[in-house]
Amino acid sequence: MHHTQDKSSALGQGVIIFVFLGALTLLEYFIAVAVNNTPLLIVVAIVKAALVLYYYMHIGSLNDDDHGAGHESYAYKTGTDRLGLWLFLLSDAFVFLGLGVARFNLLGLTRPELAQLFGLFVTNVLLISSFSMNRAETLMAHGDTKGFMNWSLITMILGLGFFVGVVVIEWHTIPAIAEPVLILFGEHAGFVPLTASGTAMGAIFFMMTGMHAFHVLTGLALLQVVRSKAGKGYYSAEKHWGVEAATIYWHFVDVVWIFFYPALYLIGKLV
Amino acid sequence: MRHFVIVSILTAAMTYVIYVGLTSLGLMPVHASTQATSIDWLWDWQMRAMSFLFALIVAPMSYALVVFHRRKGETGEGQHFEGNYNLEIAWTVLPLFAVFAFAYMGAYSLGEVRRLDPNAMVIRVHAVQWNWTFEYPDYGFSSDVLHLPINRQIRLLMESTDVIHSFWVPEFRVKQDLVPGRVTELLITPDRLGAYRVRCAELCGISHSYMEDDVLVEETADFEEWALEQQAIAIEASKTPEGRGRILAATYCLGCHSITSTQLSGVAAPVWLGLFGKTETLQDGSSVVVDEAYLIESILNPLARIVHGFTPNMPQTFANTLSADQINDIIAFIKTLK
Amino acid sequence: MGGALFVTLMRWLLPIALPTVFSPMPLFDTQFFFREPAWLFGGLMGVLCFVWYHGVMDDWYQWARGIDTPEHHEDKPGIEKYFGPSLDHKVIGIQYTVTALALLVIGGTFALIFRTELAASRLQFLTLEFRLFEQNGLQLYNSLMSLHGMIMIVSILLGVAAMMNYLVPLLIGAHDMAFPRLNAFSFWVAPPAAILLVSALILGGFDTGWTGYPPLSAKAPLGIDMFFLGVFTAGWSSILGSLNLIATTLRMRAKGMTAFRMPIFVWASIATSLIALTATQLIGLSFQLVAFQRVLHMGFFDPDKGGNPVLFQHLFWFYSHPAVYVFILPGLGIVSELLPVFARKPLFGYKWIAMSSLAIALVGFVVWAHHMFTSGMNEYLRVPFMYSTLLVAIPTGVKFFSWVATIWGGKIDTPTPMLFVLGAIVVFLLGGITGPPNATVSVDLHLHDTYYVVGHFHDTLFGGFVFPFFAALYFWFPKATGKRMNETLGKIHFWLMTPAFLTLSFGMMRIGLLGMRRRIADYDPALGFDNMHLVLTISGFLIALSILIFFYNLVISIKRGEPATGNLWNSRSPEWQVVSPMPAHNYDVPFEVVGEPYDYGLAGSKYIEFITPKKK
Ligand code: HEA
Ligand code: HEA
Ligand code: HEC
Ligand code: CUA
Ligand SMILES: [Cu+2]
Repeated sequence: MHHTQDKSSALGQGVIIFVFLGALTLLEYFIAVAVNNTPLLIVVAIVKAALVLYYYMHIGSLNDDDHGAGHESYAYKTGTDRLGLWLFLLSDAFVFLGLGVARFNLLGLTRPELAQLFGLFVTNVLLISSFSMNRAETLMAHGDTKGFMNWSLITMILGLGFFVGVVVIEWHTIPAIAEPVLILFGEHAGFVPLTASGTAMGAIFFMMTGMHAFHVLTGLALLQVVRSKAGKGYYSAEKHWGVEAATIYWHFVDVVWIFFYPALYLIGKLV
Repeated sequence: MRHFVIVSILTAAMTYVIYVGLTSLGLMPVHASTQATSIDWLWDWQMRAMSFLFALIVAPMSYALVVFHRRKGETGEGQHFEGNYNLEIAWTVLPLFAVFAFAYMGAYSLGEVRRLDPNAMVIRVHAVQWNWTFEYPDYGFSSDVLHLPINRQIRLLMESTDVIHSFWVPEFRVKQDLVPGRVTELLITPDRLGAYRVRCAELCGISHSYMEDDVLVEETADFEEWALEQQAIAIEASKTPEGRGRILAATYCLGCHSITSTQLSGVAAPVWLGLFGKTETLQDGSSVVVDEAYLIESILNPLARIVHGFTPNMPQTFANTLSADQINDIIAFIKTLK
Repeated sequence: MGGALFVTLMRWLLPIALPTVFSPMPLFDTQFFFREPAWLFGGLMGVLCFVWYHGVMDDWYQWARGIDTPEHHEDKPGIEKYFGPSLDHKVIGIQYTVTALALLVIGGTFALIFRTELAASRLQFLTLEFRLFEQNGLQLYNSLMSLHGMIMIVSILLGVAAMMNYLVPLLIGAHDMAFPRLNAFSFWVAPPAAILLVSALILGGFDTGWTGYPPLSAKAPLGIDMFFLGVFTAGWSSILGSLNLIATTLRMRAKGMTAFRMPIFVWASIATSLIALTATQLIGLSFQLVAFQRVLHMGFFDPDKGGNPVLFQHLFWFYSHPAVYVFILPGLGIVSELLPVFARKPLFGYKWIAMSSLAIALVGFVVWAHHMFTSGMNEYLRVPFMYSTLLVAIPTGVKFFSWVATIWGGKIDTPTPMLFVLGAIVVFLLGGITGPPNATVSVDLHLHDTYYVVGHFHDTLFGGFVFPFFAALYFWFPKATGKRMNETLGKIHFWLMTPAFLTLSFGMMRIGLLGMRRRIADYDPALGFDNMHLVLTISGFLIALSILIFFYNLVISIKRGEPATGNLWNSRSPEWQVVSPMPAHNYDVPFEVVGEPYDYGLAGSKYIEFITPKKK
């Protein structure tokens, strides 16, 4: 981690980036509503992803020069682990890339009918969870285990909220819960939800959100493991690779959604 | 230097021997369409290139193996050189030209193959597991033998209702898949009289091997005669349910089921001759008298009751492809098979 | 030990077996809508349970509980360590090798069975009356043929992993891979994957070929699910293995080993791993989507629901084309690695060869649709894909020309490994030059799905993998065991396999051009192919015989081979500068790279120097 920064400026950076991300998300939504310009939406998504990659996932730390330390040192090992994790994410990204390709191949520039405001809402829940995760990690990097426990708990709650929002409500898994909530978010009554087995559109919607939700779940599991270890005082300001790994993974899940959200909710016309 | 001269001669000789040797074997089947012309032309260039490239590597390699082989008892190392920049550039750039030349020729030849003649005759091809049907919209009939007039471009518009098949007559060279959910196109201009066979080239299940049908290229007059005759038969047949049923059965069923007393080779499906009213033993040992209800069930849901001694290979898609009327027509036809 | 194996097997089988036992339905009907998911889930759980019970995940479990475990367990001496979850890359390399060879035998045996049927037209052996595993002869042909394809491919993937695992740490002077536990995991998912693949045969088989195109695969019997699952799990092995390899090479090289001083095989491995790391996800995804279409009725590839069958082909080939370069790049790396040793000359154009591997890998990503020229995809895509496909010829050509230049003017010696290297060059050349005709669209309209293509890819696969793999086995066998393999038997193996194989592949191409379709159990006698097919079948059996000789050689050499502990081949490579068999933690004394790897013939040059402890 960047120990060069002092604690408050590191935390401050997280806030600034979050404000940017939030603003871009709203912008995105209004672009979709007002002009529905696909290239523009893609550009915004790329900018958002770049911000997360650089500031929240510290992609630059892959270059950290730790060659001074011996191959057996913690710093060198962490560098290797970090590389391994990024390679894994690169690989995993291809699954989502494939799903994105499938989406555009099957649906072209059309999109499923979904509750727009609810989509914006869950997207923001995930976004805020990225912010809280950044805060949790920054605190850990400064040795504040208690702060980490609090903020990572908030992250997990938000993450769970996102998961429920998608899997229970957006999927209409439990109609008794889903319908009132969605009507609250402006969906018209008598709306016919998509089904996985109905059309290819439903299939790809469930596949994309399902695969993403699966990653949210694994992210939550990873966080829980790290939290339980942190609770036992396992991590310190110098040694907290586990925390960093869970964090990077969590942000990765957010980055995926940064692309899936416009792909499912914003880009294209309703059929 | 002497080495290089010898190797060059060897390479040239080897290229020549391979090319002449292989081409004199007769590598391709006879060619029977104008599309084949440009493909064979390109193939011939490919043969030259392959012969040359093979010789280009193998001749110097074999030569080096002989000349630079370690003699018995010899020790010591080879000459020390690590590379040669000019050579490396050369063997990167020269093949680049060859590649572009071949890609250009490939694109050109593809253009020839795909050139549509406005006077082309349309034939619709329907494929189902494991049967071809050819529909002549100009005449209003279907046939399971493909008759083609010579020297006229045929535009095949092809559809499949179950899985992917592929239309291929080796003598015509060109090949095109039939994909469920879309219509694919193939252009063929036969230019040689004769009997050929269309062979399904995409694995489409158990009896893929047997998904073949006759293709006859005929003089225009013969073709016309045949087509008008078929047209008359079709008009006659469409007046009765049995007649319509026979046409439908030819399209969908008779690839597997036989209407004579002998089973078709390759596919094991019950013979239809004398089917109606007979008592059929089922796989579970029970038996059933074949009546209309049983026939309908067998068509719509072939897995419901399996005939003893047969594997459940019958397609399960007829509920989607056939209407109730069509099924009644087929049953009417089956009833006539006594 | 047999008992232990049985127990682990049962642990793996039970989760699959239970749903069947409790399912009231007969085993082999096709209406298994609520049983099929159970099989899929059971299979997946089976793999996980197997790996878990085998202790492969113990360390991770401890980590999650906050207990640190050492990265290096001491292995039990003797043969037993090969059956447990060892973390030593050399042990894992050998585990991979043995599994790969076992699969080669299984897949090869399947080929021999269906080749027997093909020996004459009409059905004689796999007839319609013939019944095995609820399949008649025709269906069985399809199952065997499809499994032959995929089992061979998985065998190659494992063989490639074997070479990379065993060699790369040794070549770069590392004490192990970067993530030893992940390495063990990557290996141990492979055996269950292999079992799943083979179980497809028993569970109704499937009739789609190794490519599994829907809609056919969406209708195929239950076997296809096991096939999907097997490939899916084998994919994990490939992905995680290559991740490990890249991290190892980037982080664990010996002092002074700069990028262009790495042994050439390491470059090849990096290029291979880049493909396997990323593209493999796509075959997993494509098969997963079909599986979901089958069990959850999701309509991805179902035109009735607005799905698109051609989309599958794009996803599938996006992996499966680059995958062919996964198969060959390490093999070609072996060729480049061994030629200088036996020609006693530097590798000609080292940098160019290193870069050509990367170029092949990168260009390989943008050529996939050349398998789909007749598929009905957008027509205007054909020409750009023709260009990109042909471009691969250029870096591949660079390798060939450099190899010829490497042996030119050498002092060539031809023991068994070198014979296989030379065989690899010729056979792969044949496979390579028969590629461009496929790539030029119009000619491919004739060649597609014929035995010409079958001939093309057996040439590339044998030349790019099978021959180099044997070369590597003969070359590094003494390193692993401290014994030599028998030269005479090795030469017999080579001189039997090569002509038999050339006959096989030439014959395939010949009948393919004349109209022999792929994937048919029976062919029209009117075509007149009977004689040629008989020859092909005989050649297939001769190849099998030669491989049998190889196995015999392997066994007797392990038992009573001539001892070989020193630098047997007089190689400059670091692993030969220490004793054989390789010590448990590789180099007891670390080394430093002080020169070029292949400076044969330059007096006084050195590649590595051991760092004496006092200097440290
Ligand atoms: C190890 C595996 C391997 C390798 C290396 C290759 C290499 C190549 N392959 Fe092959 N291929 C397969 C395995 C492989 N292939 C398999 C398994 C299939 C069938 C899949 C299935 O359907 O089941 C297949 C099918 C296949 C097809 C589809 C055929 C069809 O189904 O219709 C095509 C089409 O373009 C193709 C092309 C090529 C080309 C251009 C190369 C090139 O990379 C070759 C490059 C090499 C050279 C060209 C030789 C050396 C070069 C020189 C000496 C320089 C000068 C050369 C020139 C100027 C041309 N291959
Ligand atoms: C590495 C890959 C590989 C290898 C090595 C082989 C090896 C062989 N292959 Fe195959 N083949 C493929 C990959 C490979 N194949 C693929 C990918 C397909 C496409 C499948 C598809 O279309 O879906 C294919 C398809 C294919 C076909 C086309 C089938 C069809 O389209 O209908 C044929 C036909 O002849 C064939 C033949 C053979 C033969 C005779 C061998 C012989 O070389 C086999 C030699 C035998 C052995 C290697 C076994 C050795 C040892 C023993 C038998 C005894 C030892 C026993 C003990 C020690 C206990 N193969
Ligand atoms: C791919 C081959 C195939 C095709 C095409 C096919 N069938 Fe069948 N059919 C079978 C097989 C195999 C059986 C025996 C197994 C069974 O009972 O399901 C069978 C059984 C039947 C039976 C029961 C026969 C008996 O002896 O009791 C009927 C009726 C039947 N088919 C009608 C049809 C009709 C009508 C069509 C076309 C619309 C058709 N089939 C197309 C393969 C086929
Ligand atoms: Cu139809 Cu093969
Ligand atoms: Cu390819």
